[in-house]
Amino acid sequence: MKRALRQLAIVLALALVPALVSGAIQVQWNSETPTSHGEVTLAMIHNWGDKVLWVDARTRSKYDHAHIPGAILLNEDEWDSLISPFLDAWDPDVPVVVYCDGGSCDASHAVADRLRKEYPQVTKLHVLKGGWSAWSGK
Amino acid sequence: MVGKIIVLLLRLVVAGVFLYAGVMKIWDFKHGQSATPDFTVAIQHFEILPYPDLAVMLAFYLPWLEAISALALFVRRLALGAATAITGMTAIFLIALASAWHRGLDISCGCFGKDEVSTNYPTLLLRDGLLLAAALVLVWRECKTAAPARDA
Repeated sequence: MKRALRQLAIVLALALVPALVSGAIQVQWNSETPTSHGEVTLAMIHNWGDKVLWVDARTRSKYDHAHIPGAILLNEDEWDSLISPFLDAWDPDVPVVVYCDGGSCDASHAVADRLRKEYPQVTKLHVLKGGWSAWSGK
Repeated sequence: MVGKIIVLLLRLVVAGVFLYAGVMKIWDFKHGQSATPDFTVAIQHFEILPYPDLAVMLAFYLPWLEAISALALFVRRLALGAATAITGMTAIFLIALASAWHRGLDISCGCFGKDEVSTNYPTLLLRDGLLLAAALVLVWRECKTAAPARDA
């Protein structure tokens, strides 16, 4: 038992070294750093292929002005009227990616959190890191 | 003699599976980039961890632990520890899979890097059950063959 624990500690420590090194390298130099809070980057989404349901969590006026092609509008102001079109478009096999303006906007997280709470069946749910700004390159 | 051959085969299979699983979660060979972001998302899909940042840390650590444990299975002084680590990881993953199945989650397991196919729970549970049995045999074998001189 003692021998097993000692060897286990060595193996755990040995794995920690390259994990820390690769983590430090990715955090410092790689833009594809893993994100927390369910956020995904554009590059990650591109790797998934074209099968993504975009959800625009901004205001209707901003959506009407410009949005990601194929995106559907779903914001908290018009939740009751917009949730049905979202559910009609939703496919369990297709990841849902919510976005807002980018930067410090919270609308995408708010919409994603509400979807998780009210529709737990929507499991493939993400928030676009950088939002519309990241998409439009602004 | 037959027993030794069986144990050697089990060791090769378990090490091969874990080395492959670890490497595929470290590097996405198809796209020539780190596979850590995709593995992070795969972990988050299980909706088990209380803090999202834990998924990021696990995504950095687990693949290396899998790969190092696989290699350490062939190092005499580390084989028992490696088999124990593999047993623990497999048991935890079995619990996570069963939990996801119980909650009706339709997710990709992320077992071997990016995986677009939804999880087939019965198949995965069977596969990991067999892996767990093999890992337990290796633990038992290492304990059984332990000589006092090894600890000296």
